[in-house]
Amino acid sequence: MSELEKNTNAPENQEKEQFSLNDDRRVKTLSPGALVVRRFIRNRVAVTGTIILIAMFLFSFVGGLITPYREDQLFYRTTQQNKQYAAVKENTEFRYVTATKDSFPSVAQAKFVIARKTGKTSFEGKKGTTYTYEEIGEDFCVIYEDGKEDPVAFATYDTVSSVTSDGEVAFDLQCEILQAIAVGEDSFTLDGVEYTVAEDGSIYKGTEEVAYASRFIVQAIMSDVFLTRTFKEELVTSIQDGNMDFVFTDEDGTEASYTVTYDAASKSYAVLQTVETKVFDTYSAPSKEHWLGTDRNGMDMLTRLMYGGRVSLYIGFIVVIIETVLGVILGGLAGYCGGWVDNLIMRIVDVFYCIPSMPLIIILGAAMDAMRIDPQIRMFYLMLILGFLGWPGVARLVRGQILSLREQEFMTAAEATGVRASRRIFRHLIPNVIPQLIVTMTMSLGSTIITEATLSFLGLGVKFPFASWGNIINDVNDTYVLTNFWFIWIPAGICLLATVLAFNLVGDGLRDAFDPKMKR
Amino acid sequence: MMTEKKTMQIGAQTVPVTYDPQYILMVNNLKKYFPIKGGMMNRVVGQVKAVDGVTFNLKRGTTMGLVGESGCGKTTAGRTILRLNGGKTDGQVLFDGQEIYDLSDKELRTLRTKMQIIFQDPFSSLSPRLPIGEIIGEAVREHNLVSKAEYTDYLDRVMDECGLQPFHKTRYPHEFSGGQRQRICIARALALNPEFVVCDEPVSALDVSIQAQIINLLKNLQEQRQLSYLFISHDLSVVEHISDSVGVMYLGNLVEYGDKKDIFAHPLHPYTKALFSAIPIPDPKARMNRIVLEGSIPSPANPPTGCKFHTRCKYCTKRCKSETPVQKEIEPGHYVVCHNYE
Repeated sequence: MSELEKNTNAPENQEKEQFSLNDDRRVKTLSPGALVVRRFIRNRVAVTGTIILIAMFLFSFVGGLITPYREDQLFYRTTQQNKQYAAVKENTEFRYVTATKDSFPSVAQAKFVIARKTGKTSFEGKKGTTYTYEEIGEDFCVIYEDGKEDPVAFATYDTVSSVTSDGEVAFDLQCEILQAIAVGEDSFTLDGVEYTVAEDGSIYKGTEEVAYASRFIVQAIMSDVFLTRTFKEELVTSIQDGNMDFVFTDEDGTEASYTVTYDAASKSYAVLQTVETKVFDTYSAPSKEHWLGTDRNGMDMLTRLMYGGRVSLYIGFIVVIIETVLGVILGGLAGYCGGWVDNLIMRIVDVFYCIPSMPLIIILGAAMDAMRIDPQIRMFYLMLILGFLGWPGVARLVRGQILSLREQEFMTAAEATGVRASRRIFRHLIPNVIPQLIVTMTMSLGSTIITEATLSFLGLGVKFPFASWGNIINDVNDTYVLTNFWFIWIPAGICLLATVLAFNLVGDGLRDAFDPKMKR
Repeated sequence: MMTEKKTMQIGAQTVPVTYDPQYILMVNNLKKYFPIKGGMMNRVVGQVKAVDGVTFNLKRGTTMGLVGESGCGKTTAGRTILRLNGGKTDGQVLFDGQEIYDLSDKELRTLRTKMQIIFQDPFSSLSPRLPIGEIIGEAVREHNLVSKAEYTDYLDRVMDECGLQPFHKTRYPHEFSGGQRQRICIARALALNPEFVVCDEPVSALDVSIQAQIINLLKNLQEQRQLSYLFISHDLSVVEHISDSVGVMYLGNLVEYGDKKDIFAHPLHPYTKALFSAIPIPDPKARMNRIVLEGSIPSPANPPTGCKFHTRCKYCTKRCKSETPVQKEIEPGHYVVCHNYE
């Protein structure tokens, strides 16, 4: 008061005034906004929160633009994969080849084996058919049926295959070839054509190779694979040499390596082809290309985090805006109008408070799942649902504030000075509600992000292909991932924690800054 | 002073008064009852008769002190006169001959610039989130009292008159002391250039040295601007200092009303006598002749019948208990409501 007295009644003591610490010398006046900013900046914790938030915003909104990858871009890696390719079996039993017109049933085949073991040259098949056989070599017999001039079948250890993939070798020719091999002839003539049998089992018609004979049966596992003669031969040679690894270069020059394993039970060799295969690059550790590795779909984790942050922040803000707009309008109406309006709105609020929000959201989420709603539209629904469930808290707060403020003397004073009702509300009431409103808004930003993350984690919120921090963490649905791939859940967890914490810090800081009773 | 006063009745039907231009404010049998809600379904179960028939006239450029003990309805009367308590229950409030309860909201807002109020509590009567300049100047702009170009100068001038500095404009109420705040309240009221100000215990929240400053400020402003005050207070010495006429209230009724000199020199009503006997005399040798009242003030929800003061009056007669007294002019301009002066 002393300086006021001086100002009002003492222009004469000019000299004294020079040394006085008058208010106008001492304090620089600041605009109300600047005061709030100043008080906020002085709050170290709040500034830390703001910096975290700015970093999060940059990370989410600018980061998404900078990153070279798309949100849902899939990455692949190549791996060596062993594929069942072929099976090789050395023939140690007679195989029977029957002439096209005739039949040599399995009963007869068995009888033949017995006859051969007992040294008989003829045996009886079914229905009294009598067969005779002529043993041409150790492992080649030609079988005749009584009354027929031409052989009906032959039994052999070797097989004759055509050199072309779809070619067939005629019965007669097979028979001649095997006979030639069995007696050790170099050439034979069939139907006036001269054939030559080479050392390695190839049969030439003139100079053209038509077929080959081999004791090994090499069969492809896959029906679409044709095994070339060279491949078969080299494979067989390799097996005979005892090599279990086999490299083959085909006519196109493509090199492939094969592993051969021997299966004693079936007395056969399995050939595994080692192929380079492209697979989704899942759970790859952090690297130069993927700073935070990749997730279970083979998408870049850092990029997912950025886009997830976008979604989380978007949802947080929109939900809080919906909540606040509804809450302020309805709470303000209830508080200012009172009477039946107040009663009605507050009963609606009570009803909303009775709704268990989590089960409701889960049910709605499941319903949207069932309706196969597009993930993008689903996101909007999620915002609406969360917003509509959140406003009663805000409305209650605003109503309570307005009820208490309405009875304050300064409101009567404003009425007494004849200020319009709208002005009274917006200049006198609302500014006094704002601090509490801002605190709840920022706090509910944090909690909304948490709710969204929870829902997404449960698979009810934001859906693939959209990322959100919640559904990123959802990747950790087994202990194996939890313990082995830290980069899946730790970064998302940190983002979530930092953002929510920062919102709460900023909320507290703002409340203090808006409070004029705080020290300047 | 009041020639037509004899026609006015207390407790009976209000007889309309006619406008007399010498009075800025004419209050005739003003009543304000507040409902008591309770029981099932919020029924109205009773009424608090906060103001139960108040009649007085206020001359232009003068101050009327309204005194009485706590809870007697002084503040309610002041606010009801300004139509700040919702509706009235009965009676007339003529401001410049205009019944203010007949005005539309828009007309009332315009009229509010002419009549202002200064509140008792300078802490709660200033919006904590508005700077002082805004608090004082808001209504000036609202009513377009001065042009935009003159606005700043005008505001500075008003603030200067009330002992505030121009740089205070950007400050907030919490940065001021109680006395400064009361000056702000006064500046807010005076910025509208009113003719009539209700001062609702403007100094009771302040310490004595500042009380004097504020009282002097109010007196100076009255001289400069020809203001009329309704000065509500329970502090009789302050009222004696500032008032031209004095009204004494007891339980919603104005029991005695007249010139300051008359009232202080020879109070007539037993309650006034008891009240004034409690004024401390700054002389240790003086013999205090205090009249101590028995009991406490009855509830305004259930006031005694007849004269409301009869429960505590030592001159109480049988008539006092049954018959409600009417306001009578005992000497020119000195009215009393008591059966003992018939």
